[in-house]
Parts: sequence; structure tokens; C-alpha cells
Amino acid sequence: MSEAIAKARAGRAWWVPAVWGALLLAACLGMGALEGLFRWVEPDSRAVIYARADFLTLLGRHLLVVGVAALAAVAIGVGAAVAVTRRAGRDFLPLVAQLASIGQTFPPVAVLALAVPVLGFGTLPIIVALLLYGLLPIVRNTLAGIEGIDPGVREAARGMGMTGGQLLRQVELPLAAPVILAGIRTSVTINIATAAIGATVGASNLGDPIISGIVNGNTAYVLQGALLIGLLALTVDSVFARLQPAGPR
Amino acid sequence: MIDLIHVTKRFGATTAVDDISLSVAQGELCVLVGTSGCGKSTTLRMINRLIEHSDGEIHIDGQQIRAFREETLRRRMGYAIQSTGLFPHWTVARNIGLVPRLLKWPQARIRERVEELMTLLGLPVSEFADKYPRQLSGGQAQRVGVARALAADPDILLMDEPFGALDPITRETLQEELRALQGRLHKTIVFVTHDMDEALRLADRLVVMDQGRIKQQGHPLELLREPADAFVESLLGGEDRGLKEAALLPVSERMLPLSPRLLARERVAHDASLREALSIMLWRHAERLTVVDDEDLPIGELSLRRLVGAKAHE
Ligand SMILES: Nc1ncnc2c1ncn2[C@@H]1O[C@H](COP(=O)(O)OP(=O)(O)OP(=O)(O)O)[C@@H](O)[C@H]1O
Ligand SMILES: [Mg+2]
Repeated sequence: MSEAIAKARAGRAWWVPAVWGALLLAACLGMGALEGLFRWVEPDSRAVIYARADFLTLLGRHLLVVGVAALAAVAIGVGAAVAVTRRAGRDFLPLVAQLASIGQTFPPVAVLALAVPVLGFGTLPIIVALLLYGLLPIVRNTLAGIEGIDPGVREAARGMGMTGGQLLRQVELPLAAPVILAGIRTSVTINIATAAIGATVGASNLGDPIISGIVNGNTAYVLQGALLIGLLALTVDSVFARLQPAGPR
Repeated sequence: MIDLIHVTKRFGATTAVDDISLSVAQGELCVLVGTSGCGKSTTLRMINRLIEHSDGEIHIDGQQIRAFREETLRRRMGYAIQSTGLFPHWTVARNIGLVPRLLKWPQARIRERVEELMTLLGLPVSEFADKYPRQLSGGQAQRVGVARALAADPDILLMDEPFGALDPITRETLQEELRALQGRLHKTIVFVTHDMDEALRLADRLVVMDQGRIKQQGHPLELLREPADAFVESLLGGEDRGLKEAALLPVSERMLPLSPRLLARERVAHDASLREALSIMLWRHAERLTVVDDEDLPIGELSLRRLVGAKAHE
């Protein structure tokens, strides 16, 4: 028992995300130090460290795109799930659940291809693509979290005279929060990787070295982009792990 | 005071409650019994408008319940259910203080009231106030459920199998507590149960329902002695009715003054039921019992003849 608690505590420690974050920053600032390694991977190329933009700037843009898409996905996803679990919106529940699934089965690349003619090149199309792609886990988990609440709790809340808003804010959202947070975590982690394709439509981010490496046949560039994206995903994921309550209630 | 006047509830094609009329006086404890699916819960939930009735009228203290805002109506009534519906993310104290908080009582008054109720229901404040529902036993959770229903001191209590799923001993304790509470607080209570002994023990008015209709209502003794039909008779215990009736009558009702004879060796308390007295006679092979008062002093005697004979005459 105490072992389990200790484990849970360890999972909730801030040092885990701090270590991943430090590694990420170190990799951004000191990629040059690994020049020997990349030279060995890519002996024929003149340059082996991606230098068209500095990694910190790319990281910032990457975070911005993922962050904006995540905020929008949370607002829309949680909002839609809450709306269809109200009495007035119940009829739309299957429709919303289905739309969210379709959003995820639709490949982000295809969304980009369709969005560029409308929205132009740059960050906007990739934000739209990520938003659609990240909606499903959030909608699905919010629905599951709210529907999973013991019906007796809801009956008691209403029977005691809580208004719809009080029920939502004081009971349903707090009880569903761990499940909703898990959905956001999945959504954001997937999108950190998916955002790389934004580089193909001119949204410069950590995908740049990867795309550029593929185009120029420079494996070292691809590795650098992948390494940074991987570290970013681990950092963000460990932050979510820290935020999540230790165990099921 | 609650009045149901020709109330009907239909769910689509099914009629869950069919033209029932029922009046529960101030301070009365009304128990609804009947087979599963006969409409007990539906009846209860129409009173606080968790379910809207289809036809007829429901009045609280002479006012139509539809004249109130739903939330206002419900905050005036306590509501306790079998699954307790305690909020798992709130402490016991916070759960109990729910309705007073909704009614915007000052913080200090809420705390005072919560502690008063916890004491009343045998939940030591220092031990339970900061516990979460998952840390409670079934019986403790149901006490918290009842405390929460009583929190804002409502005149009306609606209870849907509040002691269901409890072992017989805890159940009986809670029943006695509810009876005692009722004696002190004079709430108007509508209580649903599956347990006939519980119903007979608690009820001032017993209402037997079947397929959405009221078959018979009245004092438990009335129904035991003159069941309206075979259904009521069998629901109330069939051949066991004699014992069930004996369980409702106190020894003091049948006892005779002390005779000059020698005191019988076996004793029975004056407030025990005739059923308990009969059980002692059977167990001890005794035909005569000495009735004692609270101080264990003899105040009368009860013979087997008197016990069964008196019953036969009534
Ligand atoms: N929301 C609902 N929608 C449709 N039918 C319902 C609904 N609630 C209850 N019913 C039906 O109404 C009838 C009465 O149900 P109710 O819950 O009042 O029974 P009950 O007497 O409380 O039964 P139990 O003793 O099993 O709790 C049942 O036939 C039930 O199927
Ligand atoms: Mg029921």
C-alpha cells in the first residue's frame, strides 16, 4: 500500500517534466555539440546541423501552433460534449460523437491539402488540421466522463435543488475532470507529432528540419527534428502526468 | 401536508401511476409498499418534480407544486435515496451542508447545523467530518444521506428505500433512529420500502400499491386486521399476519395488574412487543411473564391465555 502511494507520488513529482524540459532546451541550444555524431550518420553532406533557423524559434512556433489548436479543441470539444449531455441537447449526442470520429479518421494531410486553397499557406491551415484531428479524444473522454457519473449522484443533486449550472460546475465537471484531462493529454501529445507536417505548407516549426532533411536527403536533419519533437512530447506528457490525480476516485 | 388528487403518470404507452389520491398530514409518516414496478418511486419523485405528473394535482400545504420554481420546491423537501447519491469528491461535512449552501446560509450557521446533524445521527464530528464517501461503510453512508436530507430543516422528507441494502441490525437501528427523530421533529415523511416489517414498524399510514393504483391505505393495524383483498393480505404476510400484528402491540396493552400470586420468574419489559413476549414464552417454556418497567421493577403480569385470548376477541 505505502509502496503504491510512493509510486503515485513519484509520478506526480515535478522533477520528471523538469528533467525532460531541461533536456529539450539543452538539445535546442547545444545541438552543435553532437556534430560528431551527426557527421558519422551523414558523412557525405557538407552541413550536418540544421541551421536555416535556430531551434529555439522553431520550438516556440511549434508550441504556439499546438497550443492554439489545443485551446480551440478543448473549448469546442468540451463545449459540444457538455451541450449534448444536457436534456435539451440529448438528441444530438450520436451526431456529435460521430462527427468527432470522422474528424480523426480524416488524415491531417488531406485537411491541409483542402485548407490551403481556402486559408492560404502558413500556420492557419495547420491549426485547423490539428484542431480537427485532436477533437475526438477530447469529445470522447468528456462524454465518457460525464456519462460515467453514478446516476444516483445526479438524481440526488437535482433532488436537492441544484440548478443545471450548479450540477455541471460543482458536480459533473469536477467528477469528470480526470477523464477529460486524459483526453486532452492524448490529443495534445498526438498533435505535437502531427504538427510537423505543417512545415510542408510553410508553417515553420520543428517539422522544418525533418521536411528539409527528406527533400535534401540529409538524415541528420531528420534525426534532429525527430529528437526535438520527441523530447517536446515527453516534456508535455509528463506535465500532464503531474497534473492528473494520482488514482481513480 | 401533501395532497395528491387523482394523480396519473404515463410514460409513453405505459401508465406507471394510475389515478391515485393520497393525503399525508403534517407530522405523519406515510409508507408506500407494493411489488416491484408498481409505481412507488414514481409517486415519490412526482412530489419533488423530478418527474412531472401527467394528470391530476399535487399540493404542498395547499399550494400547487407547479406554482413553485422546481429548485425552490426541492430545497424545501429533504430527499434520500437508496444509493445515497453522496458526492464522491466532497467530504461528509460538505455533503451534508449542500442544501444550506444552496440556500446561501452564512458559513458559520452551516457549520453549526452540520455538526448538530452529525451528532444527531451518531456520526462523531471529529471522526467523520473530513472523510470522503468512499471511506464510509454502507450504514454510515446512508446516515450521511439522511443527515443531508434533513440539513435545511425541511418540513417534508421524501425517502426512497433509504435503508435498503443494509444488514438487518443496522437497518433496525436506523429505523429506530428515524422513529425517534420523527417523534422529536414532526416531519411529514413519505417513505418507500420493500421490507414489510420496516413498513409496519414505521408507518402511521400504510399505502399498498399495485400496478400504479392504491389498493388500500390506513393505519398498519387496520390493514392487518381488515385487508381489502387477497393481494393486500398476502403482501402483508399471509399466515404471518398474527405475528406481524403482535409485533405492533406493546406488552402494556395486554398486561394485567400484579396478582397476589408468586411473581413469574421470566420477565419482559413493558414497552416490548407482544411478539417479543410470545417469543420469550416459547423459548423459556413459560406461560406467565412478569412485566417490568424501565427500572426493572414489576408492574404487572402477562399470561399466554391473556396474550392470545385478548387478541382473539378484538
Ligand atoms: N423514466 C421512465 N421512463 C419510462 N418508464 C418508467 C420510467 N420510470 C419508471 N418507469 C416505469 O414505471 C413503472 C413504475 O416504476 P417505479 O420506479 O415507480 O416502480 P417502483 O414501485 O419504485 O419499483 P421498485 O420497487 O422496483 O423500485 C415501471 O413499470 C417502470 O418501468
Ligand atoms: Mg423504486
